[in-house]
Amino acid sequence: MNTAESRVPVTVLTGFLGSGKTTLLNRILTENHGKKIAVIENEFGEVGIDNDLVIGAEEEIFEMNNGCICCTVRGDLIRILGHLMKRRDKFDYIMIETTGMADPGPVAQTFYVDDDMQQKLHLDAIVTLVDAKHIWEHIDDSDEAKEQVAFADVILLNKIDLVAPGDLERLEARIKSMNSMAKIYRSRDAVVEMDKILNVGGFDLERALEIDPKFMEPEYPFEWSGIYQLNAGTYKWMMGDGPDPAMGAALLPLANMGLAAQEATLMDAVLTFSEDEQALVAGEMMRLGKGQYNQLVLNENGETVFNVAIEQPGYYQLFTEHHPDEFDACLRGADSVPDPLKTREYKPDHEHDEEVSSVGITIPGDLQLEKLNGWLSQLLREQGQDIFRMKGVLSVRGWDKRFVFQAVHMLFDGSPDRPWGAERRQNKMIFIGRNLDRDALENGFRECLAS
Amino acid sequence: MTRRKHKRAQPSLKAVWRVNIDDHPIGLAWSPDGKRLAIAGVSGPITLFDSADGAVQRVLRGHALDTMAISWHKDSRLLASVGQDGKARLWDAETGTQTSEMSGGASWVERVAFSPVGDWLVSAAGRKLRLWNSSGELIREYPDANSTITDIKWRYDGVQFAISAYNGVVLYDPAEPEPLRRFEWQGSTLTLEWSPDGKYIATGDQDSTVHFWIADTGKDLQMWGYETKVLELAWSFSSRYLATGGGTQVVIWDCSGAGPANTRPIMLEGHQHLIKHLKFQRQGMLLASGGNDGLLAIWKVKKKKTALLADAVFKAPIANLAWSPDDRCIAVSDESGTLSVAAIQ
Repeated sequence: MNTAESRVPVTVLTGFLGSGKTTLLNRILTENHGKKIAVIENEFGEVGIDNDLVIGAEEEIFEMNNGCICCTVRGDLIRILGHLMKRRDKFDYIMIETTGMADPGPVAQTFYVDDDMQQKLHLDAIVTLVDAKHIWEHIDDSDEAKEQVAFADVILLNKIDLVAPGDLERLEARIKSMNSMAKIYRSRDAVVEMDKILNVGGFDLERALEIDPKFMEPEYPFEWSGIYQLNAGTYKWMMGDGPDPAMGAALLPLANMGLAAQEATLMDAVLTFSEDEQALVAGEMMRLGKGQYNQLVLNENGETVFNVAIEQPGYYQLFTEHHPDEFDACLRGADSVPDPLKTREYKPDHEHDEEVSSVGITIPGDLQLEKLNGWLSQLLREQGQDIFRMKGVLSVRGWDKRFVFQAVHMLFDGSPDRPWGAERRQNKMIFIGRNLDRDALENGFRECLAS
Repeated sequence: MTRRKHKRAQPSLKAVWRVNIDDHPIGLAWSPDGKRLAIAGVSGPITLFDSADGAVQRVLRGHALDTMAISWHKDSRLLASVGQDGKARLWDAETGTQTSEMSGGASWVERVAFSPVGDWLVSAAGRKLRLWNSSGELIREYPDANSTITDIKWRYDGVQFAISAYNGVVLYDPAEPEPLRRFEWQGSTLTLEWSPDGKYIATGDQDSTVHFWIADTGKDLQMWGYETKVLELAWSFSSRYLATGGGTQVVIWDCSGAGPANTRPIMLEGHQHLIKHLKFQRQGMLLASGGNDGLLAIWKVKKKKTALLADAVFKAPIANLAWSPDDRCIAVSDESGTLSVAAIQ
């Protein structure tokens, strides 16, 4: 392990054809930032531009250890960079452009796998340019587009002038659901401050956790709940047309408005949503209580009404699979419309049923290094191909400094940074990958705590 | 693998001369007659030194965008160089003039090798492999290799040469357009060395393996367990020992008898950092190792007890090592540009 300071930072630039990579590179090479930058591009000879240098690369991918994708590296980069580091004219930064369809994995892995590379260079950040208008054509069915988003430390949403603000919000939310650790910036004509993409320092884990407070919350099988104070009598749950032909719902009694009671009811709701659903059609009576998971089936057209009978007056909490607003749904009494005393929204299980997602875990306490090593190596052996990136700030028993690390697939680079001092010792980790199992990851991580 | 500790020996390296070329040294090669020492700097120029006293004889222009390799013709008069200007160049060491300029076929010409016998020169640029004569005439262009050619080495008698690339080794007869044989390995082969008797081709690989290919049969022995990729290979003149790097210990395989398979190699400890260069004497049993720690160590290799004979510490990682043709001196360069010629006593 080397101190990052003595190594030259490398930025890897990815993005589909037309996303603005060339515009950005030209900007970097012509802007007067006083830094010497070497750019390694595809299909280019070697060109000196004032202080800077552009070198062509051939995209030559090596498989290591008989074909494991987690160990593929770029042989051309090893040669070019190895030679570049011998020159007397040292560069402040190195930028590597990848082709539109390239998997950023082998480029990033090159800096972990090869000793000469690791001694002299460090991967500062993977910057992905996204064409805000055309990304929708790729993001659902292109593995390359997903991987470029998933691998990124920094995502530049470019060409925002071609997109309506609402679409941009939607795109940003979508990207965050896939990669919650990346910093996202918006640009037009690839105009971005250089310090946003160069020498980023990589370590944005804490910031990543700040961006979306819901990110660290557990996921729930429902999106909304409302607490009502109801009298004995008959109520109607009215639903209009919505995005789905049916919606799950549970109605549970709440002992009081105290937080402990709410927490207990929340747990009951989670358990209830794991029960077998009971289909209900218009006019039927919603089942009440723990374990009663109603599946409210809507009429094909128009309003659907379900009945609710309350025997004991008191507090009740209704949990719904989707936000009631999506169905213009509300509760009505015989002669009144009771407003909920309190509502809450929950981070849904899978916002877009995404196969690429992020899992963030925070656990207080100290880890035992041997257990952690054992767990990580097993995890990466079994799921290394599906885990694209990992980052963490860890509290290791017996170490007074924070241990920070990042990994690309199964390749790992980490070192102690500053002392914990008065800060509360805890462990934060983010996984980005395909088909991640949050519970398994969290349990595995928890098992690594020092007993 | 057994580990042996070595007592620090009395120094017996005597500096003959020392200069600094103020550049990162790339190639380092004695002319076959031992009179000149050629060294290239990464920025391009190639300096020819009088090997007796270190006087600069010629500074050849080299390549505008970085020189990458040099090789002497057997007559000691012509020196070939290749570089990032896409060219191979031939220089007259007497006059310092360029006699030929040839196009390597791609922007980086990385490898060049004159035949030890005959008049052939082979250059490699990316996947382009070209055969020339010493007048700079193109004799043959071969079909592109599978991947960038990482090394070219001639057999001792000049009858064959071998190239390495991703996927292993390919053997050629310079008189034939078609390859003689392919030794395939699913991995990136970085360097190769013929045993002096031509029986084995040893390779060092990115996947931290060393291979022994038996040239006649294509049989492959694989040696696993290296710390890192292996770029350092050196055969003893008798073809008995192959010294290998790929870590902080020198690992020496004994190819006598049934060969190195299932044998314990000799392991030499002393380097603190990765070993970067290994060179056996041409006719003797001294092995020189140079590392990233700037350590130059001279070992006397024996089956029973290999001893550290001498060592010296340079201020920067060792950039290259070359024994003089008479084996009496070793030329050593380090990454700060130091070039030193020392005599073994």
